[in-house]
Amino acid sequence: MAATPEPLARPPGAAFREGFVEADGFRIRYMEGGRGAPLVHLHGAGGLRLAASHDLLSERFRVVAFEMPGFGQSPENTRTRTMPELASTMAQAAGKLGLDAFNLMGTSFGGKTALWLALQAPERVQALVLEAPAAIRQAGAQSPSGSPEEIARRLYAHPERLGAIPLPDPALRAKAQALVQRLRGPDRDPELEARLPGLTTPTLVLFGTLDQVIAPAMGRFYKALMPNCHLVFVYDAGHAIGTDRPEAFAEVAIDFLQRREAFVISRAPTVIHP
Amino acid sequence: MKISFFETARYCAPRPLPPEWPVPSGAYDPEAGADAYRGMIERLRYVEELGFDWVSVSEHHYSPRILTPSPIVSAAYLAAHLQRITIAVLGPIVPHSNPVRVAEELAMLDTLARGRLVVGLLRGTTNEAMTYDLNPDEARERTDEGMELILRAWAEPEPFGWQGRHFQYRAVSIWPRPLQQPHPPTYALGTSRESCEFAARHRLGCGVSYGPFEVMARATRYYREQCARHGWEPTPEQIIYRANMLVADTDQEAHARLAERPGTAPFAMREGIRDAIVKIESRNIAGQARTPNVGGALPTTFVGSPDTVVEQVRRCREVVGAGVLDISLHPPGSADLDPLMRALELFGRKVLPRLRDI
Repeated sequence: MAATPEPLARPPGAAFREGFVEADGFRIRYMEGGRGAPLVHLHGAGGLRLAASHDLLSERFRVVAFEMPGFGQSPENTRTRTMPELASTMAQAAGKLGLDAFNLMGTSFGGKTALWLALQAPERVQALVLEAPAAIRQAGAQSPSGSPEEIARRLYAHPERLGAIPLPDPALRAKAQALVQRLRGPDRDPELEARLPGLTTPTLVLFGTLDQVIAPAMGRFYKALMPNCHLVFVYDAGHAIGTDRPEAFAEVAIDFLQRREAFVISRAPTVIHP
Repeated sequence: MKISFFETARYCAPRPLPPEWPVPSGAYDPEAGADAYRGMIERLRYVEELGFDWVSVSEHHYSPRILTPSPIVSAAYLAAHLQRITIAVLGPIVPHSNPVRVAEELAMLDTLARGRLVVGLLRGTTNEAMTYDLNPDEARERTDEGMELILRAWAEPEPFGWQGRHFQYRAVSIWPRPLQQPHPPTYALGTSRESCEFAARHRLGCGVSYGPFEVMARATRYYREQCARHGWEPTPEQIIYRANMLVADTDQEAHARLAERPGTAPFAMREGIRDAIVKIESRNIAGQARTPNVGGALPTTFVGSPDTVVEQVRRCREVVGAGVLDISLHPPGSADLDPLMRALELFGRKVLPRLRDI
């Protein structure tokens, strides 16, 4: 297996700095790294876990990865009732950091938050990257649960390659469960889907070919519904694409964020010898 | 049992050829080449008339032995000239192809052939990798990824990009799509653990070739176990066994003719290359290392009178579990087509009708 990557020697995000911002009555933690145009990240139902892809993205962008209220070490969030409310909170948090316009990346559960945020404030979201978004799900889709190992097997195509990345913490997931269940909405959300055809934000939807949480075939619905959407499959990645194939994930995300639609035109040189 | 005729577009050299591989291209005779393809169609019209279920073509390079470097071009030509027979493209070699191109061409071919297409995808051997400068160490990975991309390109209704390890595309959306939906009957060919697992995971058939029944049965057993693990059971028709056959009026005659056949491949590689390939080549049967056959002639599995051959096929069905037998009746390396036509006639009259119920 010539191209099998080595497990990570140290946890990702080592160069990221921790910060807190007061917004919408919440004290919101975030991790920030890199310089350049801002890229806001909203995490999945398991909470904020920096991946190797964050490091790669931070080489080109100022990455601000929020921990949404109710996740991680933050107090349980019993106040937010709907996904649009959470999106509004996160838009305010970005505003408090001085981010008027930004690129927005959403992972799984956070992909739905990101879509709502873009619908509420399309003028502020320059481009969207949705990593295995959970806004449109196959019937009966379930979040990963169980032991750390069981969760890892659902999230990662290759949990054996995690290396220095700690296993998911079921306790943290459990704490946010009520919030996730309240906000995730139905597998097919008519209110959201009715609005997607009006969202002209350049959007990149990514699915791992081995995703065991959201069926990769869901990708086609975003592509069909959204007028400026590009769908990309990341081969041999599971639900957590940025951990399973960080280089492949970051390359296409960066190319898309920098060139938008023109990213379909290859600029990669193929000359072997001049 | 379904019976497939393995067609090689045999080239009859007007002059002796250098016995080495790659065979120097300058030794090729264009008229003899044209005759080879003309002869192929005449022969296959007879094959179709005899009632064979399939004709198969494969991908091989730089040699007159099998004059079909592009199996898809061969198959398109067959589709235009033959009426009923199923055309089995048992190439293309995936790791040195553009998978999207392969998906497009096979979809086009399936449509041109009005759904008479069967597809086998494979890694190919190290000498084939050499022809297109493919690093053999990467061949397995490129095959798995390429096959997955081909299946995705056939199925996906929206334009999609592909971030692979070895292949990258930003927007794939093939036209035409296959006539057979969701796609033509497809096989992952080979005995390796990886190929059996891929086939099982994607509900494809599996194809093995040339080895003894018991050895090939290790691969087909492993394939069926993997299918069960993925919650399905393949039909007999999803297992192909390809082999050489030497059928004659009597067992004695068949064995006498077998003894006359050379034990080495007709166009051998230079020793240094052959040794390097033996060192590099990594093959396995259901996970157990397999010694590569480099430079030796391929074995002839079915040998004997019609009665004997029918019994051998029956054993093959029982032991390997194959529901499709892909046979080569041509003496390996021989440019003489008469023995092939005699074997074909004998097989068609005395053997083929008795294989139906096996």
